[in-house]
Amino acid sequence: MNTFSLAPLIIYLPLAGLLFNALFGWRIVDADREVGERVTGWVATLMVVGAFIVSVTLFLSLVSNGFSAWFVPMFKWIVIPSANFEVNWTLQIDTLSVTMMLVVSGVGSLIHIYALGYMKGDMDYSRFFVYFNLFIFFMLILVSGSSYLMMFVGWEGVGLCSYLLISFWWYRLDKEGKTANATAGRKAMVMNRIGDFGVLIAMFLLFWTFGTLDYKPIFDGAVKMFEANQMVQFGGMSLPLPTVLTAVTLLFLLGVTGKSAQIPLYTWLPDAMAGPTPVSALIHAATMVTAGVYLLVRSDVLYEIVRQSGALLLGLISTPDLVAWVGALTAFFAGLIAFSQNDIKKVLAYSTVSQLGFMVAAAGMGAYVAAMFHLITHAFFKALLFLGSGSVIHGMEHGHHEISHGHDGHGEDDGFDPQDMRYMGGLRHKMRVTYVTYLIGALALAGIFPLAGFWSKDEILLHAQTHQTPIFIILALAAMGTAFYVGRQLIMVFFGQPRHAAAEHAHESPALMTRPLVVLAGLTVLGGLLNVPYLSAAAAERAGMHAKGFWLALEQWVAPSIPALELAEEGVLHLPHTPISVSYAVAGLSMLLAVGGLALAYLIYRGRPKTYDEPDRLSRTPIWWWSILPLNSLHMKILVPGFNRMAAWLAFKFDGEFWSDFLHDRVLRDTFVSFADFSSDVLDSQGVDGLVNGSATVVRRLSGLLRLTQTGYVRTYALAVFLGAVGLLVYFLLAAG
Amino acid sequence: MNWILTILTFLPLVGVVAIALMKQPEDGSGDDNIKYVAIATSAATFVVSLLALFRFDATNPALQMVDRVDWIPSWGISYFLGVDGLSILMVMLTTFISLVAIIGSWSAIKDQLKLYYGFMLLLEAGMLGVFLAQDLFLFYIFWEFTLIPMYFLIGIWGSSRRVYASIKFFLYTMAGSLLMLVAILYMGITNGTFSTPDLIAGREAFAHAQNILFIAFFVAFAIKVPVFPFHSWLPDAHTEAPTAGSIILAGVLLKMGTYAIMRFNLPLFPEASYHYAPLIAVLAIIGIIYGAILSFAQKDMKRLVAYSSISHLGFVVLGIFALNDAGIQGAILQGFNHGISTGALFFVVGLLYERSHTRVMAEYGGVWRVMPVFSAMSLIIVLSSMGLPGLNGFVGEFTILLGSIGAESLAPRPWIYTAFATTGVILAAIYLLWFFQRIFMGPPVTETVKGLAPLKRREMGILIAFLLFIFWIGVAPAGYFHLMDSTVSALVNDISRAALALTP
Amino acid sequence: MPSVVDINWYIALSGILFVIGVLGVLLRRNAIIVFMSIELMLNSANLLFVAFARHLGSLHGQVLVFFVITVAAAEVAVGLALIVAIFRTKKSINIDEINILKG
Repeated sequence: MNTFSLAPLIIYLPLAGLLFNALFGWRIVDADREVGERVTGWVATLMVVGAFIVSVTLFLSLVSNGFSAWFVPMFKWIVIPSANFEVNWTLQIDTLSVTMMLVVSGVGSLIHIYALGYMKGDMDYSRFFVYFNLFIFFMLILVSGSSYLMMFVGWEGVGLCSYLLISFWWYRLDKEGKTANATAGRKAMVMNRIGDFGVLIAMFLLFWTFGTLDYKPIFDGAVKMFEANQMVQFGGMSLPLPTVLTAVTLLFLLGVTGKSAQIPLYTWLPDAMAGPTPVSALIHAATMVTAGVYLLVRSDVLYEIVRQSGALLLGLISTPDLVAWVGALTAFFAGLIAFSQNDIKKVLAYSTVSQLGFMVAAAGMGAYVAAMFHLITHAFFKALLFLGSGSVIHGMEHGHHEISHGHDGHGEDDGFDPQDMRYMGGLRHKMRVTYVTYLIGALALAGIFPLAGFWSKDEILLHAQTHQTPIFIILALAAMGTAFYVGRQLIMVFFGQPRHAAAEHAHESPALMTRPLVVLAGLTVLGGLLNVPYLSAAAAERAGMHAKGFWLALEQWVAPSIPALELAEEGVLHLPHTPISVSYAVAGLSMLLAVGGLALAYLIYRGRPKTYDEPDRLSRTPIWWWSILPLNSLHMKILVPGFNRMAAWLAFKFDGEFWSDFLHDRVLRDTFVSFADFSSDVLDSQGVDGLVNGSATVVRRLSGLLRLTQTGYVRTYALAVFLGAVGLLVYFLLAAG
Repeated sequence: MNWILTILTFLPLVGVVAIALMKQPEDGSGDDNIKYVAIATSAATFVVSLLALFRFDATNPALQMVDRVDWIPSWGISYFLGVDGLSILMVMLTTFISLVAIIGSWSAIKDQLKLYYGFMLLLEAGMLGVFLAQDLFLFYIFWEFTLIPMYFLIGIWGSSRRVYASIKFFLYTMAGSLLMLVAILYMGITNGTFSTPDLIAGREAFAHAQNILFIAFFVAFAIKVPVFPFHSWLPDAHTEAPTAGSIILAGVLLKMGTYAIMRFNLPLFPEASYHYAPLIAVLAIIGIIYGAILSFAQKDMKRLVAYSSISHLGFVVLGIFALNDAGIQGAILQGFNHGISTGALFFVVGLLYERSHTRVMAEYGGVWRVMPVFSAMSLIIVLSSMGLPGLNGFVGEFTILLGSIGAESLAPRPWIYTAFATTGVILAAIYLLWFFQRIFMGPPVTETVKGLAPLKRREMGILIAFLLFIFWIGVAPAGYFHLMDSTVSALVNDISRAALALTP
Repeated sequence: MPSVVDINWYIALSGILFVIGVLGVLLRRNAIIVFMSIELMLNSANLLFVAFARHLGSLHGQVLVFFVITVAAAEVAVGLALIVAIFRTKKSINIDEINILKG
């Protein structure tokens, strides 16, 4: 018995919470709103806190275990003996999964607490917490599974929760009277499914190549086959391993673009802001969307083998490089799109897409530790920002509520939107806590020293600068763009004068909401310490310092779960590795860019816009047009209606009118019917019936003749008998004669 | 001597006789008794099938609990029942779905009860016979026999275009089976026996004609499945049939086609199976995509579910013609899953129809607000049909697709088939979520929706029964695979050996 | 000593009786008379049987006569019953009026 056997609890606790709320929560809320909300909300929250405590226990166990992975089997799942297929529910407790567990359950707990206040009074209070627990449940399955298949369960499961939570307010109609929230949720699920398509096929290929879906045997097998230059044979095919792995990694990339909202599938994430703000914070910033990065880091060996083998996709680019390019371009373009957004949450949404781009690019360049580092710090400060924006929206709604009840005659309510930054302004005086914490988050996002975002972004930039200069340039520009839109948002929301009465009357949110903000702000300030170069034993060793006590830096901690690092040390793979360190040139440059971006925003937006209907200062510049990149329009205006039209044509014209009505009913049935008519009217009545009836007539006529002999007189018959007898007699006499 | 399968097959007929002898007073006072007798009969059948399941030895690949008596010895026809890994799940599915369908008709059917429940039980007997018969002649009799009760179920208790639909259904399936009859007679007369195991042992005798025979069998079964392009009867039949009819049609009758392909086509004509596998896989994939797209465009919710069946069954056929262990086992399990998920979907649709008397989705919206528990259950059913991991649909689809990508029968590039088939997963999300959104989401607008009656206890019980299977298979399907593993493995070995012998 | 009558006389007598019977059946209208005529024909045959039995020294002919007498008795019983039944319905036994079997 050791503490690892507690591991299944991280899954069972949220499960228990969601079952409780699904079965009883809504009844309690129905019976007594006040008590019910408290019970359901806290049950859900405590379950996640419990999962966090278990995660901490697992963390400590791993530390005492020397960071080596531990497997906790639960029960059998898909077992097909004759096909040699066996995947079981087994938890893999290693440093990578525990890191993710800590982030998920830790940030998850804080957001649960925040949601207790945010969702107060909502019609579907208990339903919200059922979904929230369900999400934590699936997310923990995703990160703790020991096989790709189990990860996929979580992968799809969190997609489902995303769908459910985006469309949480499915009963609300938009201005055109459509169920826009439900549609946004559906869009997210479908886009995610497109990505899942890739992951599924990648899994099939992995199974036929390695005969298993468990991480460890796959990675061991891959290295062994790679070293032996073995061919992969199945389904009548024989392919070199790098070719198969190129396909696998490319398909994984498809999955990543879906889940982590990268080009070309990112368009669902901005729409996903239709969900309640805690959802945006938890799912669409801190945890779920990082699953793609987790997948990339998990599959490091596969990517590194492809990189090593030099296998190119269509002879152009290797898949890890493609990953890096996709990430970098997404980081750049999503940042650009954020320039033109006026919705406070949409800015953050595009910012999330952009930051995820940084992580994906890092993973693609082989900077797995940096990717994880940025994942963690981003979880802190982006959750903080989203929760802060929720607090702002909450304040604006209350301000609006106040004016529409307190004062009459405000004709400017038309088109008011509590999320639109143009109606805000000057909120720093009204909402002190929110302002300060938001400022910390925003500066971290911009990459200002010494906040968490600075350190993690710097690692990525440093790696890019060392290994891939073009990507470095794009990412540096993206970093500057980040600082610019952050500055724009800060100015529009918190500085200047209130541009709407609602903003004048806004006030601070309740403590239940601000306390998590403070905690997250603290984490944002300190998060950089996780991997600060000076605290790393390895870095210290390199610098010739005494290493003791410095072993907990993220680099050492995560390394045992990234087999590629070890393989690089053994010389099997040549990983483009950058040990954590600080390059003063890069750090200085990134600070310069960040401050420059903020300064530029200050110059352009100082005191602007003056009124809520003033056009944006950039709206006449080419940047503006670039920033409303039409990928979303392509999706919504061409692909979706195109598909709808094709489906309708196939269903009603082809299958309905042609296949069923024309081919079956007209051609087949009517031909048959007219043939039958012909048979019955012509062939049968004149041909067959003619024969039958004719013979009957002949018989009738003949019998009419014969019946004349039947007189009915006995005497006639007697005479006939007599004549017969005589006839016979004559015959015999003659015959005898 | 082993009677259990005979008892299983003919037990529903006892119920038919009992119902026939009952009086049905004009005032409807005897109605409940008829229902109770029908339910009791199908429940007893279910119990007997459970007994058979307990006696079933999963490690033995051969036919078990065999009951074989000479019937027409001079022609080599025998009364021959048996069960193995291919059919045991189908038998369980039949008894379960029949029970559920009969209970589910409690309030939906109001006239001619005696006739209705009589036909339901007759149908159950016929379906069990199809899955248990191991003599082609006997099989053919049961196969055709199932048509008759179904024809009347659609034709008498269906909705407005029921006559059109029932005749289309009857003619379509009948036309297919005639080809099969010719093939059966040819094989039977050539080999002097109609028993399937004997025919398989002596398949050399008709190997020269196996391509034609394969097609004759396949067309008959493909119509039943239905494989594109033989699907035209299905949407009409489903739409017009009463709810229980749809449940049985989707749940069991379609599986007769896929089961029969595995039982007869593969072992009787192994080389032909390999030969036609790519072609059939293409048809299956067209079916997957075509069914899904059509389903998306539908306005009538029953038609939507009907077209989704075409898509799902496409997966099953693809799995069969992967001709390897994973593919075929996935196909069997997916057949079972489809019975559960689509049966449940039809039940959901039926519940709504019974309450509001319309199948047009535009007239719904916001049902979630009115019937929250029902909606949550429906969501799980929809997700299971969508193949969400952790629920039943995923396990089957995953295994099928896994099998198809490594299928020797689809060489040299099986992954192309898999890639196209997997798009069905995306399309399923598109049409099922759209279905869910239109019916359950949005504000409840119409008065009909606002006045929907809450779930009755009986309805809740049925839904829970479906959900249990959905979760069970999704989380722990190992036991299901265990049931079929040895039989499928033997089958796969047999046909691949036969096909190898052919190739130089 | 008994004088032996030549067999030809018997044949002639039998023939005469038979012809009378035939003529009676064909010409008379009274059913009873027709009936008696039939009896006459039967008995002419009997006479011939007995005569030949004596002439040939065989008992076969005499045995056959017993059968004929039995059949004739039965015939009389059935026939008379029929005639009575017909008379009851038609009040007549004139065979020319009994022709409902006319085709």
